[in-house]
Amino acid sequence: MQVSRIYRTNQTFIQLRPNKLILILLLQLSLLWLTACAPQIITEQSEVSILPIADNPRLPDVIKSLISQSDKQYLNNDFMGALATLERAVRINPRYAEVWSRMAQVYLKQGKVEQARQHAKRSNSVIKDNIQLREFNNGIITPDSSNIQKEPLH
Amino acid sequence: MTKQKSKARKKASKKKVVKKSKGKFRFLFNKYSLLGLSVFVLLFSSYLVYLNIQITDKMSGRIWSLPSHVYARPLELYQGKNLTTTQLISELKQIEYILVQNRPTKPGQYRILNEAHFEIISKNFTYWDGEQKSQGIRLSIYNNKISVLHMLYSDETLPLFRMEPAKIAGIYPSTKEERQLIKLDEVPDDLVLALLAVEDRRFYDHWGIDPKSIIRAMLANVMAGGTVQGGSTLTQQLVKNLFLSPERTLTRKINEALMALLLEINYDKTVILETYINEVYLGQNGAQQIHGFELASQYYFANSLRKIRRDQMALLVGLVKGPSWYEPRKHPVRAKSRRDQVLKLMHERGALSLAQLNKYKLLDLGLAKKPRFSANRYPALIDLVKRQLKQDYNEDDLKSSGLKVFTSIDPLIQSQAEASVKRVITRLEKNNTRAENLQTSLIVASSQQGEIQAMVSDRKPDFPGFNRSLDAVRQIGSLIKPAIYLTALQQPEKYTLASRLDDTPLHIKTSKDKLWSPQNYDKKFSGDILLFDALNKSRNVPTVRLGLDIGLSDISDTLHNLGVSRDIPAYPSMTLGAFSLSPYDVANMYQTFAANGFNVPLKVIREVLNKDGQPLKRYPLESEKTIDEKSVYLVNHVLHQVTQTGTAKSLADSFPQSLAGKTGTTDDLRDSWFAGFSDNQLAVAWIGRDDNASTGLTGSSGALRLWSDLFSHLNVDGLQMHQPAGINKVWIDAESGGLSNKNCLGAVELPFIQGTEPTEKAECKSAGFIEQIKRLFN
Repeated sequence: MQVSRIYRTNQTFIQLRPNKLILILLLQLSLLWLTACAPQIITEQSEVSILPIADNPRLPDVIKSLISQSDKQYLNNDFMGALATLERAVRINPRYAEVWSRMAQVYLKQGKVEQARQHAKRSNSVIKDNIQLREFNNGIITPDSSNIQKEPLH
Repeated sequence: MTKQKSKARKKASKKKVVKKSKGKFRFLFNKYSLLGLSVFVLLFSSYLVYLNIQITDKMSGRIWSLPSHVYARPLELYQGKNLTTTQLISELKQIEYILVQNRPTKPGQYRILNEAHFEIISKNFTYWDGEQKSQGIRLSIYNNKISVLHMLYSDETLPLFRMEPAKIAGIYPSTKEERQLIKLDEVPDDLVLALLAVEDRRFYDHWGIDPKSIIRAMLANVMAGGTVQGGSTLTQQLVKNLFLSPERTLTRKINEALMALLLEINYDKTVILETYINEVYLGQNGAQQIHGFELASQYYFANSLRKIRRDQMALLVGLVKGPSWYEPRKHPVRAKSRRDQVLKLMHERGALSLAQLNKYKLLDLGLAKKPRFSANRYPALIDLVKRQLKQDYNEDDLKSSGLKVFTSIDPLIQSQAEASVKRVITRLEKNNTRAENLQTSLIVASSQQGEIQAMVSDRKPDFPGFNRSLDAVRQIGSLIKPAIYLTALQQPEKYTLASRLDDTPLHIKTSKDKLWSPQNYDKKFSGDILLFDALNKSRNVPTVRLGLDIGLSDISDTLHNLGVSRDIPAYPSMTLGAFSLSPYDVANMYQTFAANGFNVPLKVIREVLNKDGQPLKRYPLESEKTIDEKSVYLVNHVLHQVTQTGTAKSLADSFPQSLAGKTGTTDDLRDSWFAGFSDNQLAVAWIGRDDNASTGLTGSSGALRLWSDLFSHLNVDGLQMHQPAGINKVWIDAESGGLSNKNCLGAVELPFIQGTEPTEKAECKSAGFIEQIKRLFN
């Protein structure tokens, strides 16, 4: 009991009251829970928020790999890097609406609403039959409060 | 006795006088000498302070002017990419990779197997988004496409690989100095040892000047009857190079010694040594001076200082004594002898064993092929790069901050553009007696992203003269017409592609008593003509009528929405392109057609890094929808017809791919234009004369041929006309514009904005069997 009431920090012994000890134990337990569950939460959030465009079977591997790279950059808050990577995809083939739409999303995240709108329009101009993507782009082009406030990737 | 005494007295009195006068003189001497000495000390110390300021200013600021370097686009490799083996080999040569016979083992090497399989080991390279480590890849090319892309030593497929970009130009300070900085801890110990053994053995023992070395050198020189040895320390040499002129005067020598002392007082030996290693002059590549051991190592051995052999280090150290005299490519025997001297000294200092010394002495110099780095091969493009950079950086920074400028320039396309210019201009002058002293401009850009890929501004592409692509402002003739028809079609309630236009004589009063009577190119009038056909056949008179009807200011607005930034004059003849634009302006304008109404300002720079590889600025892709996509679609439909049945129909025979474009010719055949695009590329060609005399060429017989020659050598993706929602295609009678069907004679299928289709039916004469078969296949 005496041992449990002693906490060691930097070779200094500090006497702790039992209620503080309980508090610390609770904190540790909550940290443990977060460590175990947080990655799952983050992954779930990402999977929900990122549009399922990288899974589109029509996209060639090269475009998918660049979208995947830009998603990582986006999630690391490297928005400039994400845009640069998406531009590489556009250079390889500018006809994939998913790439333009992704660029619109990154601009939106940066708060550059006009650039986001223009890139969403660009995406619409090459969409063939992806209704979901068109609706998403339209949400950026003619925003109502729910669309602009919405953060599509998070 | 008395006499003797008086003599002695006289002597004594004389001595007294002398003593007295000497004492007085000493007093004066002391007084002035002290004053003089004080003044001297004051002046000397002020001078020392002045020299010290010079040293600390330079050493604490930017010591060297580092030229900025311009890079081409990196080649992206991926499965399915259009790429021929010739193009890949050309690219690898551009980035100075070495072809080897066996499996490549070092970065920068490649091997070709069976003319279609490549094994490549890339070099490390720092891009805007970070460093890409060296990697081995193998790829196969089949039917002019990359069919396989794998890691070199495994079967793991790579979705994408980015080859490092070629360094295509430098932006130099007036001194034309070129160097690559290296830190002292990255310099091999053996090189430092050899350098000190040869140039300054007591470097770590002296204070900038070394009296022992000076005496030894003086003795050696006296014995030899001339200058055979220098007594300068490394510090003195550095002072001479950094601060003083090369003249051999006593004053300069004194300054050199004083500044060397001051440098040693102010700075650590390691700083002095590192600065020396980066400063020393080691050769000349054309106009560029090679400074520093790192760049010299790359220049002579195509390898970093960290990776060269010790005998190669010895050669570099030997060059310090006389880079021209020992220039190894010009004087290999002399250079080898000097290298062996240095190797011997390295052996004496314990850096080499006797066996190693003997082994290295047997080796040849190990020189690489002379690199072409720094040469400005693309003067027009680099001029454009500089102009765009100057919007963000001042001239001094560009020439001295060591910026790394990444561009969209595509060396493969550029070399094709240059070849096309040479080929076609020569052919045109040979086949047309009126065509002589022709000049040209050819601009190529990616049609959807507006990135400049190639630009030629002179019939001699590498001639760094007048940049016609940017500065030759010439009348554009019929290139204006798509803008006029676009303006009209933006009023769908009034104009459709099937609207009837009046093609009869027209007289316009322009000023007092002056009449302007525009003519068609064939000097004939067709009566009535449908709007699409007037553009397809580039008829002048109906265009003028249409332009005047919709209003000159609306046309001017459309031109600005298309990306033209110059002022457009508002007089009737502007409807026939009687105003001037540069080829670059025209490319901007047609890019908006190519991108279906999205104006993407042309740009050539992608990113800029500082000398340490840190990102400074990115130039993102900008895109703004300035024109309604439906009306652009209608115009593009006709621009495609121009390449099938109109003024550029020769393209239909040469290209299976779908293309779009417009010819332009000005009065007296002074200017010949063609602007056209495919799905992935846009190009504008202009041919004219600098004295504005007639070329004898129309748009079709001149610029179109240049454009066509270029496109026949590019990887052209056919135009994908993505039909926007709200567009209907309808068969109409090409004569009357009434509704028809595909089985009727003279019927054409035209797109209409929904609700604007013709309602009246035209008389249907059945198309012949052959015509129907043709339509079936179309």
